[in-house]
Amino acid sequence: MGAELITKRRLEAHKARRWREGGVKGILFLCALLSIVTTFSVIYILARESYTFFERVPVFDFLFGTRWTPLLEPRSFGVLPLFCGTLLIVVGSALIAVPIGLASAIYLSEYASERVRSVLKPILEVLAGIPTVVYGYFALTSITPLLRQVFEDTQVFNAASGAIVVAIMVLPMVASLCDDAIRAVPTSTRMAAYSMGATKYEVVAQVVVPGALSGIIASFVLAISRAFGETMAVTLAAGATPRITLNPLESIQTMTAYIVQVSLGDTPAGGIEYQTIFAVGALLFIVTFGMNIIAHKVLRRFREVYE
Amino acid sequence: MVNGIIETEKLSISYWGKPAVKEVTATFLENDITAIIGPSGCGKSTLIRAFNRMNDFIPGVSTGGQVLFHGTSLYRKDLDPVEVRRRIGMVFQKPNPFPKSVFRNVSWGPAINGYKGNLDELVETSLRQAALWDEVKDRLGDSALDLSGGQQQRLCIARALAMEPEVILFDEPCSALDPASTARIEDLMIELKKNYTQIIVTHNMQQAARVSDKTLFIDGGVMVEYGETEQVFTRPSEQRTEDYVTGRFG
Amino acid sequence: MKSGLRMIGGNIRQRRTFSRIFRYVCGAFTWLAVVLLAVLLIQITRQGLGWVDWQFLTSYPSRFVEQAGIKAALFGSLWLITLTAFFSIPIGVATAIYLEEYAPKNRLSSFIEINIANLAGVPSIVYGILGLTLFVRWLAFDRSLLSGSLTMTLLILPIIIIASREAIRAVPDSIRQAAFALGATRWQTVRHHVLPAALPGILTGVILAMSRAIGETAPLVMIGALTYVAFVPESLMDPFTALPIQIFNWAARPQKGFHSIAAAGIIVLLAVLLLMNALAVYIRYRSQRKRQW
Repeated sequence: MGAELITKRRLEAHKARRWREGGVKGILFLCALLSIVTTFSVIYILARESYTFFERVPVFDFLFGTRWTPLLEPRSFGVLPLFCGTLLIVVGSALIAVPIGLASAIYLSEYASERVRSVLKPILEVLAGIPTVVYGYFALTSITPLLRQVFEDTQVFNAASGAIVVAIMVLPMVASLCDDAIRAVPTSTRMAAYSMGATKYEVVAQVVVPGALSGIIASFVLAISRAFGETMAVTLAAGATPRITLNPLESIQTMTAYIVQVSLGDTPAGGIEYQTIFAVGALLFIVTFGMNIIAHKVLRRFREVYE
Repeated sequence: MVNGIIETEKLSISYWGKPAVKEVTATFLENDITAIIGPSGCGKSTLIRAFNRMNDFIPGVSTGGQVLFHGTSLYRKDLDPVEVRRRIGMVFQKPNPFPKSVFRNVSWGPAINGYKGNLDELVETSLRQAALWDEVKDRLGDSALDLSGGQQQRLCIARALAMEPEVILFDEPCSALDPASTARIEDLMIELKKNYTQIIVTHNMQQAARVSDKTLFIDGGVMVEYGETEQVFTRPSEQRTEDYVTGRFG
Repeated sequence: MKSGLRMIGGNIRQRRTFSRIFRYVCGAFTWLAVVLLAVLLIQITRQGLGWVDWQFLTSYPSRFVEQAGIKAALFGSLWLITLTAFFSIPIGVATAIYLEEYAPKNRLSSFIEINIANLAGVPSIVYGILGLTLFVRWLAFDRSLLSGSLTMTLLILPIIIIASREAIRAVPDSIRQAAFALGATRWQTVRHHVLPAALPGILTGVILAMSRAIGETAPLVMIGALTYVAFVPESLMDPFTALPIQIFNWAARPQKGFHSIAAAGIIVLLAVLLLMNALAVYIRYRSQRKRQW
């Protein structure tokens, strides 16, 4: 009977099966490779088109110039106004979303009962699932009028409106990641703190949160990265005026809003105005990509510590 | 050397360089029930998993020496492990039926291997051999997960039997079961002796004494003693064996 | 400020009161999210619900607010997610299967994993730039449904992959071991045991990815989805518009009247999303009932 194991017929059956298994594995592998192809395509396209752009406009002028008028004469290609506009949104939204998100996470993980949690967490998920164009509309039609009532010199398009809705958009992400980070701190650590006669506030704020700190910081970085890339809300609400300013009540333009503006217009492909899309896009990509990598590295190390 | 159905020659298995089984040489005869006993972590499971190449799934494993099945090496380069597992079946410690119907659990193995005969008959025969038919014959379409623990384990045995293997490996099959179910499975194993060779890993020495013809005692990866069960338990030739079976350690 | 855990004499009542205040502050911030959501929904409903009627759903856009409708955008979106699902589900699930069941633990595999995590964080407008250059220009698909759906596929692929991986990982290993011990090959095990068991999780992930796709505007703007479309697309290569694009177009108009129908459009969009998410919840619920491990 042992000879049966290796009769010729069975050897051929092995071969056929081996080919099929190998084929399946090969197809699956190609699908997985697609993700690498995507990343390289993005990098290649941005790099190549930016390169032609930077042959005409010196990198230094681009990065540090303070006038952005690529479509009107006299042309100027300093990206600082756009970057400043984006920064205003990012900082503004972070100032709102970070404390609220962290506070929510603390409440949800340390104080809220299971019932409350089961109501609040889905609500946060709903907030996260609302399309950004809806937030843009909300900013334009509800928040801006409100701001204009309180601060009379608010312009119709202003950075504050954009920053507020971006904060709402980013809030669920911060809350969810901070919640995960706080829950990763072992119960034994908390028990040790309580056993020394600390109040709940002291345990949470002085032991648990510091213990979850790198996870919390990673969530902030990811939120900021997301705010950098936000497009539709700021296009609708924050304006189309590239300007270097610290006043959130004024109209500005973000990098993303600029890219939308050019796409909606009739700029011919190949012209230098068209290529500004890629230069600005490349800057955007580098900033967000860099922040994501940092955040993930921090997150991974945080998880290693607690697992 | 007598021609056994499975023979090992200086079988050594290690994980990432750490040895788990060291140069075990043994012959298992057809239609025997062999018990492999030893303290926790002695390498029993590793040893038995070498016989159906389930060790292949563990990263960092390396296997030295020989395992022969009817005189042919199980680790030959051109031998597909899938082939091995069709002739040498396994029942696991915790019952692990598929989340499918009772019928499908038993019929799936043969079906994917191109079984050309009557599946209904095969399922009934296997369930009868596993002493489960009377309890499930009206419930073949029910989910296997609705059965009790003991029934699930017998279902797993039926599932292995449906492949018509020559050898069945049991990796502590009763450790998750109650005494009544254990007794039923032990009776079952003695019934199966007629047609199958069985190797059973167990840490329950009374079970080994009740059920097996031969016993292999392994400790720290080294085969200490291998002989007729009665002899190993009552007149062991090694001091360590005697210490273990009398409960002085392990 | 007290440091560490040292009890410095201090008034216990004072500390307890502070602790209670802290709790209320955190709670208030959390419920703020609920309030914001309520305000958002109420405002939009007030502004738009009156405009949602059969005429709205079956007309094409127009310069006149009373006659404008969302038909082209609705059909465009439906076409778009159908095509996107067609492309993204097989590739996404296949990638997840490869990474969980087949990939050796080497540097290439980690590289792929890191890649996917990074792609998930790339701004959607960058995907728009990618789609514009790759599909509209280089492959000359022009500003068609094909370009749009391919771009969307790339955008949501990381979501599907990550969700599918978790679903596959949740399948207990004992099932696989049992199948292997019967002499099954890896693919047979995956096809007959792992995939069916992981299916509810995968489906939930797919629906969530589609919800994301239906609301995305920026990439479609980049590849040139038109904003004044007076027809329903009929083939892959037709130009098209989509719900978020139409909403964006109306919201961006200076005339207040268009803001109302923008709100109406949002209600339609949110209704579609609600349906999809309800479906996901239903699938998850049904699978919990049947799950027995």
